[in-house]
Amino acid sequence: MKDFIALLSEPLREVSAHFARFFPNVLAMLIIIAAGIVAAFIIRRALLKLLEAIRFNSWSDRKGLTASMRKWNLWTDPAGAVVSFIYWILLIMVFMAGFSALKIPAIDNLVAQFVLYIPRIVSAVLILALGYIVTGFVGWAVVISAVNRGYHFARLFADAVRIFLIVLFIAMALEQLQVAPGIVVAAFTIIFGGVVLALAIAFGVGGIDAAKRIIERETKNGSDKGDVEHI
Amino acid sequence: MAGDSVVQAMESSGQLEAIKGADILVGIPSFNNARTIGHVVRALQAGLAKYFPEQKAVIVDSDGGSTDGTTDVVRDTVIDDYQAILLQHRTEPVHKMAIPYHGVPGKGSAFRAIFEVAQSLGVTACAVVDSDLRSITPEWIELLLKPVLAQGVDYVAPLYHRHKYDGTITNSIVYPLTRALYGLRVRQPIGGDFGFSGRMAGHFLTKDVWNTDIARYGIDIWMTTEAIANGFKVAQAFLGAKLHDAKDPGADLSAMLFQVVGSTFGLMETYHDVWRAVQGSQPVPTYGFQYAVGLEHVRVNFERMVERFREGVRGLKEIWTAVLGAGDFGEVERLALLPAGEFRFPLRLWTTIVFDYALAYHNKTLPQELLLKSLTPLYLGKTASFVLEVGEMDQAGAEGEIEKLCLEFERNKEHLIHNWK
Repeated sequence: MKDFIALLSEPLREVSAHFARFFPNVLAMLIIIAAGIVAAFIIRRALLKLLEAIRFNSWSDRKGLTASMRKWNLWTDPAGAVVSFIYWILLIMVFMAGFSALKIPAIDNLVAQFVLYIPRIVSAVLILALGYIVTGFVGWAVVISAVNRGYHFARLFADAVRIFLIVLFIAMALEQLQVAPGIVVAAFTIIFGGVVLALAIAFGVGGIDAAKRIIERETKNGSDKGDVEHI
Repeated sequence: MAGDSVVQAMESSGQLEAIKGADILVGIPSFNNARTIGHVVRALQAGLAKYFPEQKAVIVDSDGGSTDGTTDVVRDTVIDDYQAILLQHRTEPVHKMAIPYHGVPGKGSAFRAIFEVAQSLGVTACAVVDSDLRSITPEWIELLLKPVLAQGVDYVAPLYHRHKYDGTITNSIVYPLTRALYGLRVRQPIGGDFGFSGRMAGHFLTKDVWNTDIARYGIDIWMTTEAIANGFKVAQAFLGAKLHDAKDPGADLSAMLFQVVGSTFGLMETYHDVWRAVQGSQPVPTYGFQYAVGLEHVRVNFERMVERFREGVRGLKEIWTAVLGAGDFGEVERLALLPAGEFRFPLRLWTTIVFDYALAYHNKTLPQELLLKSLTPLYLGKTASFVLEVGEMDQAGAEGEIEKLCLEFERNKEHLIHNWK
């Protein structure tokens, strides 16, 4: 009977011993993450105050930084952008430090893998940043061109182009991150091919009269030619 | 340099050597204008024979690679019987030459080649006229060149009677803005037909602008602004009616607006110190007897213009808010909700919009092309409003409305000066 009780209590003792050894690590992780989040938040507030005090936004306006951001379709204020960037970097560091406090080989291994994975993440982030800029610029160019040519639903058309570009760049980023690359490429090819085919059929069959009108207008008269001489 | 190569080619072919200098040069920029250029050349020959019989004159066709025989028409066009139109023969023959220009395809590059030839021939007075004019008469040559030769004027801008719906970029943006900025009431700053002195042509050639939009539609406003801002003696000449073929039917409005308004805003950067100090405006000396002329009827698609304006409000909200600010954009939004019959663009709002676009161009708020092309729906809204306002008015009434707009530009100029950092 004693042996049986020992058999039952042994695992419990081991679990409680493991827990007793592991609990400080969990506590350390929680403290590190909680303190880190609070510290990051305080740093964010302090940095924002500092940048406001030194009139960073006005300086950015004068130096053309704000204009450059607007050019690249970034509509937040420069101080907010800088502070947000630093805040998120701090948060990533805090979480990595917190997880490493667990001292679990698997997690340590994961953190190590994450470190090795950083170049791919950087590439993906660059692709997404480039995609954001290109998407913004092309989106505006399309909407302005469509409005000026008198096409209805210009905004809708531009949004469709934007979505297409967003999907394209996200697929590129996922492929760079090696997240199910085969599926991503196949899915993108199927979706893109399907959309193009659907548009071709819709325009060629359903919108044949509209297509004829547009082509006639473009080739015969020029899009803006009326009787008014603008110059 | 592209312009040098034109002169070098002419020197090597002996064309310049054969002429050995001239007193007057008249330039015609052309591209596939075989149908209309013959009439222009005949009018120029008759004008030179009638009004400048003693001066040595050259007609230069600066061609952009026409494939319809434009240059052949220029070479072959002669007035066989001067007796039928003139009381006396000219003593000096009129030389003609057709030269291909180089560089960016456009009117500005064609003008550059004309300036180069004018400088090499050492002419005293020049004129440039469009190749598609149907209303040009021999008197145009006298009116464009006499002020230069007899009065010492450096730059003669044209003054036409035009239909009240014609020249809307001129009427709603370029004329009021140029007048408010530089203080001279040059009514047709981008008219296309100008007279100028040899000294002025030399000044144009000192500027390195031939790879910009000035080489295209921007050339006219550039020439006028250069003349005014640099203190040259400026006048205008009344030429009657301007009837011509539609300007470049292939070009779209927003590209035209981009080049003309972009050139105007670009010149504001160059001559900031000049326009900042100017208040109000002064008339310029005007030559020629003014008379009423019959004008061709112009049809206007009002609904299409208003619809494009409304499409702009729906699609360009973020850009317009960034350029105009939330307050003025709110006013624009309210305009879009008005029924077509009540559609009126307040003068103050329009002047503020133009100045805000100039400021956004200066501050590089957006890429230049996107910024300027986003102005098109607003411009169409303003044009639609103007059409509605002057619909029942005669020409003089419409001119009165343009004058009100000009005065509003002059009054509101402080907004531009105050915000230009």
